[in-house]
Amino acid sequence: MINKTGALLLMSAALISGCQNSTMEPEEINPEIDVCEVCNMGLAHEHFATEVVTADGEVYKFDDIGCMDEFVEMEAHLKEENAAKQYVRDVDTGEWVELEKAFHAYHPDFWTPMANGVVSFKDKESAEKYVKDQGMGEVLDYESLKKHEWSWEQ
Amino acid sequence: MWRLKKPLAIIFFLLLLFIPMNTFAEEFKVERGQSIQRAVEGARNGDTILVAPGVYKESLMINKEIYIKGEKGTIIDGGGNGNVIMVTASNVVIEGLTIQNSGSGQEDSGIYIKKAHRNVIQNNTLKDVQNGIYIANSNENQILGNSITSNESHFSKRGNGIHMFKGDGHLLKENEIVNVQDGIYFDFTKGIKVLDNHVSESRYGMHFMFSEEILAERNHVEKNVTGLMVMDSAGIDFIENKVTDQFHFRGYGILIYETKDVLVEGNEILRNSTGLSLEYGADTQVNRNQIAANQVGLEFMGKNENNTFTENNFIGNVVPSKISGEDMRLDDGVKGNYWDDYSSFDLSGDGVGEEAYKAGSLYDRLLRKQPYWQFFFESPSIKLWTKAEALFPSFGTADVYDARPLVEPVAMLQEAQHHSKDRMVPGLIGILFILLSIFVIVKGRKLS
Repeated sequence: MINKTGALLLMSAALISGCQNSTMEPEEINPEIDVCEVCNMGLAHEHFATEVVTADGEVYKFDDIGCMDEFVEMEAHLKEENAAKQYVRDVDTGEWVELEKAFHAYHPDFWTPMANGVVSFKDKESAEKYVKDQGMGEVLDYESLKKHEWSWEQ
Repeated sequence: MWRLKKPLAIIFFLLLLFIPMNTFAEEFKVERGQSIQRAVEGARNGDTILVAPGVYKESLMINKEIYIKGEKGTIIDGGGNGNVIMVTASNVVIEGLTIQNSGSGQEDSGIYIKKAHRNVIQNNTLKDVQNGIYIANSNENQILGNSITSNESHFSKRGNGIHMFKGDGHLLKENEIVNVQDGIYFDFTKGIKVLDNHVSESRYGMHFMFSEEILAERNHVEKNVTGLMVMDSAGIDFIENKVTDQFHFRGYGILIYETKDVLVEGNEILRNSTGLSLEYGADTQVNRNQIAANQVGLEFMGKNENNTFTENNFIGNVVPSKISGEDMRLDDGVKGNYWDDYSSFDLSGDGVGEEAYKAGSLYDRLLRKQPYWQFFFESPSIKLWTKAEALFPSFGTADVYDARPLVEPVAMLQEAQHHSKDRMVPGLIGILFILLSIFVIVKGRKLS
């Protein structure tokens, strides 16, 4: 009897914790239904999409890293430590990368859905290769991205 | 007499000097099994290349002023690599070709026009291509009467029908675009006319980004996710377009975001999830539109400034207006709009209701918080609620109102024409019937 209740309790605990996104992992993009939290544009270019995942398990999706930055500025409480994680995707593979670990290629003429010109990569080599292939632009890491002036700020 | 004519004669001979230029222009014929590219290489500016029917498996690079014309059944197949036709010269005409099988890179296209001006792309069929026609850093090109579809895949994997990146003065007319990502994409462009095009079953019918001075007239966008998507642009005119059946659950007829100076006039905005949505829109004029049978007729989000709405018909929208954000007046001070859920009186008989129409009822606000309350649409309790709110109008978040609501719908021009045609036939039948009856009566009398 006790065993049964115990098992039931365990199962319900597993169920409840399963519902919460406590690990703050990013979520798959569904281009059919997902739209950018900031600008309402559909997430058609999946590899340019970004996400903010909060500690409460909320997931906010954006079509462009510029929109995510605008959102985080508006929702100041998300900047507190461990309140939220920001994710970008490696443009080549679509792999999710934490913003702090990602590298970016920037040039105003690089195409992105909202034309902010910042293209993200999982490592420095890929970003450098992109800049080399395009014949223009610069590589930004997390620290230099923080200082970057976004098109929506101008 | 001769003296008078002399200058004329000189001009005449001078003109003759210029004409022979054209007689050097040659006409080449490319037969099945030959290479079109080789003909292009052998041609000179001003030459014409006629292509016989058949499948030509090659990619073309056009770098001189030539005219390429295909007969019915002339197919150029790019073999799935890069652009099928690349144009880097001005004054080129490409006509009557079927262009298929481009590569699948982001910018791979059926026809790619790069830094080239005044080209005419006319009556071609483009299919199984990533983008249909891509026009980058070019001016005054004309894209007329083409039929464009992308490849068989989800719209997030396809390219656009016609993509314009940085350029002025293009004319897009009578193109038929189906199953692409965005039908017509304006990316940092200016001074473009878009007339009589038809875009369906794509993500956005037309997508305006960072563009200005664009006229879109008599186009039909239907069954896309969103019909007309305008972002970060200015000076856009939408005249007499049909924006219908965007019934995707996050779809809009027209969505205007962070854009100023938009004219929306004489359009039919029918059967969309949301008819017209403004978010951070300024100086928008919305006149004489039919906004009917949408899930939500009019939506305001965020801050919208200095927008006027006059003589629009809001009819049969499940939720006529869904309002959040700032206070705003909807009429222009003389005339407002017709709202079919407005129920007040016109005591003075001037066609304008005596009481202001308040947009965004309590029910709409409830719906925003609890979308499933949609279930109670038109239920007695909701009706009572709405009525009670009309009597005590103070719960509102944003005060958006039409101070000059019209008590009768505005007669639209297109509608009037339809009616006159529609009435002709029953009228004629009626007259015939009356004549027949009279004939029978008279004849019958004589017989009896």
